[in-house]
Amino acid sequence: MLRFVLMRVGHAAVVLVLVATVVFFLDRVTGNPVQVLLPPDATTADAQQLSQALGLNQPLILQYLHFMGGLAHLNLGQSLYYRSDVLSIILQRLPATAELAAGALIFALVLAVPAGIVAAVRRGSMADTMLMSLVLLGQCAPAFYIGILLIWVFSILIPVLPSSGIGGLSHLILPAITLGSYSLAVIARILRTQLIEVFGEDYIRTARAKGLSSMRVIMLHALRNASLPVVTVVGLEIGSLLGGAILTETVFAWPGLGQLTVQAIDNRDYPLVQGIVLLFVTTFLVVNLLVDLLYGVIDPRVRLS
Amino acid sequence: MRPVQLRSTQRRPVSRRDFIRTSALAAAGGSIALAGCSTSSSKPSTKAPGKSSGTLTMSQPADATTMDPQLQGDVADMNILINMFDCLTTRDSQNRLVPQLATSWRAVNPTTWRFTLRKGVKFHNGEPFNASVVKYSIERMLNPATASPIVEFKDAGVTGVNIIDEYTADIVSNAPTPIIPQQSALFDGVMVPPNYIEEKGAAYFAKNPVGTGPFKFVGWQPGVQVSMEANPHYWAGAPALSQLIVKPVPDSATALASLQSGELDMVTGLVGSDVKPLVGASGIKIVSVPGIRVYFVDIDTETAGPLTDVRVRQALNYAIDVNALVQVVLSGYGQRIATLFPSNAFGYSSKVSPFPYDPAKAKQLLAEAGYPHGFSTAMSANATNATLLQAIAGQLANVGVNVSQKTYAVQTFTELDYVNHGSALGPTYVVNNSGWSMDGYSYLQSYIRPTSRSSRWNNAQATQLVTSEQTSVNPATRQNAFDGLQSLMVEQAPFIFLYVSDLVLPMSTQVNFKPNALGMQAMTNASIASIT
Repeated sequence: MLRFVLMRVGHAAVVLVLVATVVFFLDRVTGNPVQVLLPPDATTADAQQLSQALGLNQPLILQYLHFMGGLAHLNLGQSLYYRSDVLSIILQRLPATAELAAGALIFALVLAVPAGIVAAVRRGSMADTMLMSLVLLGQCAPAFYIGILLIWVFSILIPVLPSSGIGGLSHLILPAITLGSYSLAVIARILRTQLIEVFGEDYIRTARAKGLSSMRVIMLHALRNASLPVVTVVGLEIGSLLGGAILTETVFAWPGLGQLTVQAIDNRDYPLVQGIVLLFVTTFLVVNLLVDLLYGVIDPRVRLS
Repeated sequence: MRPVQLRSTQRRPVSRRDFIRTSALAAAGGSIALAGCSTSSSKPSTKAPGKSSGTLTMSQPADATTMDPQLQGDVADMNILINMFDCLTTRDSQNRLVPQLATSWRAVNPTTWRFTLRKGVKFHNGEPFNASVVKYSIERMLNPATASPIVEFKDAGVTGVNIIDEYTADIVSNAPTPIIPQQSALFDGVMVPPNYIEEKGAAYFAKNPVGTGPFKFVGWQPGVQVSMEANPHYWAGAPALSQLIVKPVPDSATALASLQSGELDMVTGLVGSDVKPLVGASGIKIVSVPGIRVYFVDIDTETAGPLTDVRVRQALNYAIDVNALVQVVLSGYGQRIATLFPSNAFGYSSKVSPFPYDPAKAKQLLAEAGYPHGFSTAMSANATNATLLQAIAGQLANVGVNVSQKTYAVQTFTELDYVNHGSALGPTYVVNNSGWSMDGYSYLQSYIRPTSRSSRWNNAQATQLVTSEQTSVNPATRQNAFDGLQSLMVEQAPFIFLYVSDLVLPMSTQVNFKPNALGMQAMTNASIASIT
């Protein structure tokens, strides 16, 4: 087990170095940040002077080595736009994104699990069709559309929730629903499929034959066996929720990493973009590792080595 | 988890008309006006004479990036910082250049401007304002190590400041500089506290700003809001508002929703088409003034082809129905201009008129130039001008000029414009240019002289006239040069001249605020009526 974890951490370090390298060079392909920083009527001389002051006129390989050297000490550099430490800017925004992602995941799970169970148990019924159509709608509709509709309904027609910003549970509800509706659909559908498959297994027939109530059969036998792929999907969704909140954060003026990412890319703020991408990659790696470890807990047949 | 000031709920009733208007737009999935509920500010009931009262909350599309006024160049930062810092000069609500921290100014010679400074002014930390502050501030901005993106003084060749006495300072340059006072109303002329910065360090200053302005810094929650409070000791008297809050709300539909619900009192950073759905909404007024952003099409007049012929270029101008463009692209919030100047800029010539919309004349001129069936060309624009590009291409097609369109991301477009006079952008491209100094100098500096960044017009007379306005400090001489330039531009048509867009500010009817053309929201004189 320990060997497995150490090996995975080693792999993760290699992935991080590769990603850092790719992002460093890809960033620079998008163009020069100096022209974005300067007003449109600035001269070429202005651009050269600012490039020099920001160290952007150094040979690329030197800039790369400087960046990787900093990374080894967890120093992600200075933002070109905010002119302050990248790590502290990211850490300032991280709690808001984590709050939104947690809210979205809770919303998704609370609805997806019962919806998946009902749809599987009543397979082919009107309830199944209705539920699956409804969650499919959540998967298809883009965040800016769901978000705007929710604002319209819950901030204007029935004015009970704020339209934007952060500040307590009331502010979290609409963005969490908007962001979570995609995950809700993904989780509900995979749970339904898995449950239907599990319902055909011998041990379910045995459980029923023993005279166990339907509830016990579903909760104790079927759900646990169907949950392995669901856990994988939930793990992936956590990564997506952290990284994919850009539209939701924009619609609801939510002060998280999504908005920061958009601004950093727009401004060609290389160090900030690098820092954010590395954070997202690290999150994915950690969640994947946790999911793998969780497999062993859920299914004793899985051995980690 | 983040402390956000909660404000007592105040909502405007949503009328049936509002409902239908917004529902239809919501269904279309477009940029729409929606209202939200909120915790909204309890506005103090009455304003005692001479005292600040009321909280005004306004939004802008982006968050602030720094509180150091010399390290920024974005309207999002300026909107905030202009309320905490003063410049040497300023523009009043009629756009007149008026004293701020300088009480008077004059050109001692073409390379030296002398400013007499206001006495008795103190920074929010008590530090006095005097000529040493002017020297420190301007030389800090010019110092390459500061890496300031503010360029007007640098481009004008300003080399430093000489202190004449405690309240007199000379701004000196290595070339004639006609518009130093106008540029001093921008952040080139912003005054920062020397002792505070030296003592606390630049990084601390960038998070804890101290200025001489009407509002004092209270707090900055990144991505949430910047809060300011009235400076009761402001040299011009305390501002009418007791609190000013600026929130970043990137989505225009959300911002307008929050305005309708009372979460916001004013929304900035929008264009005319954004606010169209709000026209007639209850409790909302839309204040608009002619701005400083002009739109035109840059033409390559030098590379062989139809565009080298003046008749063809005139034909392109006759073929465009600019008033229709203003309606389509800006929902009417704009004005046609004859050349590259809006009428609120110094140097504007009332002697020139815009090309009338006359497609028949355009076809005739094209035939005379040897293109009776028109010709094909290309035009590019940045993504924000995509609608304008489409509309122009459609109108030119009506006279036989087929335009292949290319749209670039804003940043890519700007970058291409820097290289080889924008040649990579093709034979024609749509430009929007802001004349921050409100002087013809700014409108022309990149486009006329053949060596200028985006110039693709080599005309000896124009070069001589632009040299005259750029090197003289005599207003009459400069006006003559500008008059000549504008006549020459209409005659030679080196651009397709379009319009100047309005500054559009939707706000609550409770707000009393008259913006000037610059678009930086200096709220010194803004007030908000009581809601009880």
